[in-house]
Amino acid sequence: MSALSAKLRQLRADAGHTPPQGPAHPERSEAKSKGHATPSPVPRIDGMPSLWPAGKPKAAAPSSLSPDLRRLLQRHAQLKRGPAYLASSDRDVPGIELSPGLRYTEAHVDWLAPPAIIDAGFARMEPVHHHRLLHFDTETTGLAGGTGTRAFMIGAADWHDGRFRIRQLTITSMAAETAMLRTFASWLADDTVLVSYNGKCYDSPLLKTRYRLARLPDPLTGLGHLDLLHPVRRHWKGQWENCRLATAERELLGVVREDDLPGSEAPAAWLTYLRGGSARNLRRVLAHNNQDLKSLAGVLLYMARLPHR
Amino acid sequence: MNALPDRYHAADELVLRSPDDGRSLAQRLNKRYAARITGAFVVPAQDGSYAPLPADLPPALAQALRSRGVDQLYSHQAEAWAATQAGAHVAVATPTASGKSLCYTLPVISAAMQQHAKALYLFPTKALAQDQVAELLELNQAGELGVKAFTFDGDTPGDARQAIRLHGDIVVSNPDMLHQAILPHHTKWAQFFENLRYVVIDEVHTYRGVFGSHVANVIRRLKRVCAFYGVTPQFILCSATIGNPQQHAEALIEDAVTAIVESGAPAGEKHVLLWNPPVINPDLGLRASARSQTNRIARLAIKSGLKTLVFAQSRSMVEVLTKYLKDVFDHDPRKPPRIRAYRGGYLPKERRAAERDMRAGSVDGIVSTSALELGVDIGSLDVVVLNGYPGSVAATWQRFGRAGRRQQSALGVLVASSDPLDQYLVRHPEFFQGATPEHARIQPDQPLILLDHIRCAAFELPFVGDEMFGTEIVTPWLDVLGEEGVLHREGDRWEWIADSYPAIAVSLRSVADGNFVVVDRTNGRQTIIAEVDYSAAPVTLYEGAIHMIQSVPYQVERLDWEGRKAYVTRTQVDYYTDAIDYTKLKVLDCFDSAGAGRGQAHHGEVHVVRRVPGYKKIRFYTHENIGYGPVNLPDQELHTTAVWWQLSQAVLASAFDDRQQALDGFLGAAYALHIVATVAVMAEARDLQKSVGSGDGAWFVSADLSGRGQLRGSDGQPMALAPDAPFTPTVYLYDAFPGGIGQSEPLFHRREDLITQSITLIERCDCHAGCPACVGPILAADENVDLAVHTAKSLALRVLALLVAL
Repeated sequence: MSALSAKLRQLRADAGHTPPQGPAHPERSEAKSKGHATPSPVPRIDGMPSLWPAGKPKAAAPSSLSPDLRRLLQRHAQLKRGPAYLASSDRDVPGIELSPGLRYTEAHVDWLAPPAIIDAGFARMEPVHHHRLLHFDTETTGLAGGTGTRAFMIGAADWHDGRFRIRQLTITSMAAETAMLRTFASWLADDTVLVSYNGKCYDSPLLKTRYRLARLPDPLTGLGHLDLLHPVRRHWKGQWENCRLATAERELLGVVREDDLPGSEAPAAWLTYLRGGSARNLRRVLAHNNQDLKSLAGVLLYMARLPHR
Repeated sequence: MNALPDRYHAADELVLRSPDDGRSLAQRLNKRYAARITGAFVVPAQDGSYAPLPADLPPALAQALRSRGVDQLYSHQAEAWAATQAGAHVAVATPTASGKSLCYTLPVISAAMQQHAKALYLFPTKALAQDQVAELLELNQAGELGVKAFTFDGDTPGDARQAIRLHGDIVVSNPDMLHQAILPHHTKWAQFFENLRYVVIDEVHTYRGVFGSHVANVIRRLKRVCAFYGVTPQFILCSATIGNPQQHAEALIEDAVTAIVESGAPAGEKHVLLWNPPVINPDLGLRASARSQTNRIARLAIKSGLKTLVFAQSRSMVEVLTKYLKDVFDHDPRKPPRIRAYRGGYLPKERRAAERDMRAGSVDGIVSTSALELGVDIGSLDVVVLNGYPGSVAATWQRFGRAGRRQQSALGVLVASSDPLDQYLVRHPEFFQGATPEHARIQPDQPLILLDHIRCAAFELPFVGDEMFGTEIVTPWLDVLGEEGVLHREGDRWEWIADSYPAIAVSLRSVADGNFVVVDRTNGRQTIIAEVDYSAAPVTLYEGAIHMIQSVPYQVERLDWEGRKAYVTRTQVDYYTDAIDYTKLKVLDCFDSAGAGRGQAHHGEVHVVRRVPGYKKIRFYTHENIGYGPVNLPDQELHTTAVWWQLSQAVLASAFDDRQQALDGFLGAAYALHIVATVAVMAEARDLQKSVGSGDGAWFVSADLSGRGQLRGSDGQPMALAPDAPFTPTVYLYDAFPGGIGQSEPLFHRREDLITQSITLIERCDCHAGCPACVGPILAADENVDLAVHTAKSLALRVLALLVAL
């Protein structure tokens, strides 16, 4: 620990600083709800050495501890949140490397059969040819919002030669972000219609921020955007327990996910990998993202077939 | 106490027969109440100095000004125009109501009209921001200038925000919003930043101490974001009267500024009276209440046809004084009210209405809190009465500045309360007359504050290479944040990696996030009514403490130390509580030393351990000690900076009969030095603390229940010093924030001044043996015993005399 670091710890203890119990989430509600359980605020990192011996109840709150012990615990809690990881030999991220740090996967699956013209009246939009649709979904480092949150994965899917084409970009280094943003932009045409679940409020502004920070032109503004969250809410709010994508896919498509990594654990999965840890959970994020894209298309087609009022 | 008859309620012969001015009233008050007036002086009138409207103003703007009756500028407004057009950062520090806002309105509007340039205005309060927008809109309408100004604050609805970001030419906000909402989302403001030409920061004198140090860092972040968008905006700062406007402005923006301090606005002559309520019980030293005196003076002024503004220190006092005045002037409900109250907590609509009535001149008396101290426009007034000292000379002048017309003379009266600081000030009229106003100081590199803002800055834009943040190379700080796990280093870039929004966790009004909240549980309520810094909590929020909020007493019923909460209820008591504070200091590092009389003065870093074993109950006004209670709290540790004075054993041996006398003398000297130093650095009394101990932390001295110095060892237990043990008592004044907030260095530079002023304070005090206005409370019993030369006062004076520069 550097001298500055030691001094700061001392001063923060003087100031009654307790290590934060978790990051602040000023506007978390259903905002980023795509089958996520209630997100756990602190990214848990696999294989992290525990401060507490197994079996010892961690919840024993230090209420009447001496100041020294209290400080010691705070120190530990702080260290626990630090870059603790176990270097792993499992570093395999699927796909090909488009450029340093940027992985690309592509899959063509048989998944439903879209009509040529999709009736988007349920979303108060004009009918649209399925060729123009681009379903997209990002996986991000968190939900805090603002300039400090980034996407480490962008998944996009379209109807290609009658099959559902799923393309995913994953960055394994920070520096690869610009290349990922460029690649994604190259998938967009002037007449592309985006399909998302809460993308108008979440994924799209987040990507716009990233394009701005990377000093790249923003390819999203001006595109049509079919955000399914709002039509789903209009139809089923109050009937279902909630209107998350996971609920919609279960109710409408009968999809049941197995071994799904909760979306809230995606940030930790990437962070673990970034810091040299195992890629196992990052692969599960890819699978999760893949299913999200399929469900997007499924929910869209289901809603397009609904009789209009 | 309240039942005491108002013995001074006659005097209606003082009412001026025909409407007149402040001078006549001052003269009459002086004649009639000479004994209460401890100081009277006159600030001479000043003629206006004018300049024509600049030729390079856009014609439409010049036309709009003329249509609003502005045919020429004051000289300082013209200077500000010239300086901004030359590209300089500008700091304008001219008195209240001298037309400061035009200094920035002109360059901002003309840039908006001619180059579609944008401006960001920062005001410390929402109310001021709204005033400013109202004024801009009026000017804009007058000339159909097409300039769009909006407030952007916590009340701005979500759907309006997008429009403001895109279409606002002038966005009027506050530092907290810039810190928490704008900078962390700067990409949404990209268009605004790309065209940002001016940043206007008004009322910069309020940005001092902790708040100012935070704001300086927010400005660093703003400049960093601006650099990302390729702009370097010009800053225009405005300040009320402070001692160091240029230096302060330069410290805030870390760049050279052109200072404009000569006002061209005409001002009538101004009379100032310092008023001490009369002693009504000489045995107890009890004075009439400031409230009754304030009421009396305001009544006389209003009856004499003078527009009068009364400043009270709390919202409830505003209501009380308003009621008293309404009882006299507003008993006929059919007539429009002549008296109005103005304070925070009213709806904006009510306040706007009050402001309008005041400007229109239909109101004769206004009672306000500090809400009117800042630049809210209410037109001209004749008389200002301050019910109590507002805490700084600068604020006093700013409030007095509310009275003043161009032709007539105005009057300002400061009515002292029983507070020691008030009593000190009214007894030192020369302090007002001679002293330059206080200097505003900030310490942007205070480690904890700096770390907080480097964290926020890293969230906003990654740090690359050996970037500077203010005056610091940022790399070691980034290492710390890397250890914390919020940053990830890749090559020479540090990227934000945590799922958190750091600005939410950083309050601009405190050093760190260990703050306590005070929860009012009166009548089943659950309302947070105050926030208290961690370092102040042990001495103000212990169970049993009377916690005063806006002079309303609350009693602390339960303190949840771990949860950082204090539960209080409203109470009616005739005492306040004073924590018994055992403080042990150890010097870690001495930065600077100098001789001080026959002793030494030092400045350096100290380690403080503070324990609060109990508290005293002290009756209001009489300051009798009427009991005490125990406190059970963990020890507090603090690493901070301090200034201290020491006398050698040999010097003490020749000056005092025994060590006890010397200790008592040091305690009294510390008390007086603390009062004087608080005034000197414009600090809150609790932000600066005092202590007496040995130079090496071996023992310390606290006042026992009789007010005598009790030696205690490092374990806090009473101890006696072996006769041959070394004896170098030391008086410390230390900064109550971890790491210090820059208060001790100026104190070291003014060390000689502080000692002399402390001596004057004690010598001039009316008490016999010692009191809370000079060397601290002493037992009532001691007051009557004639101890001749060995009073607390005389012992303190003896210590201070040894420290006077030779």
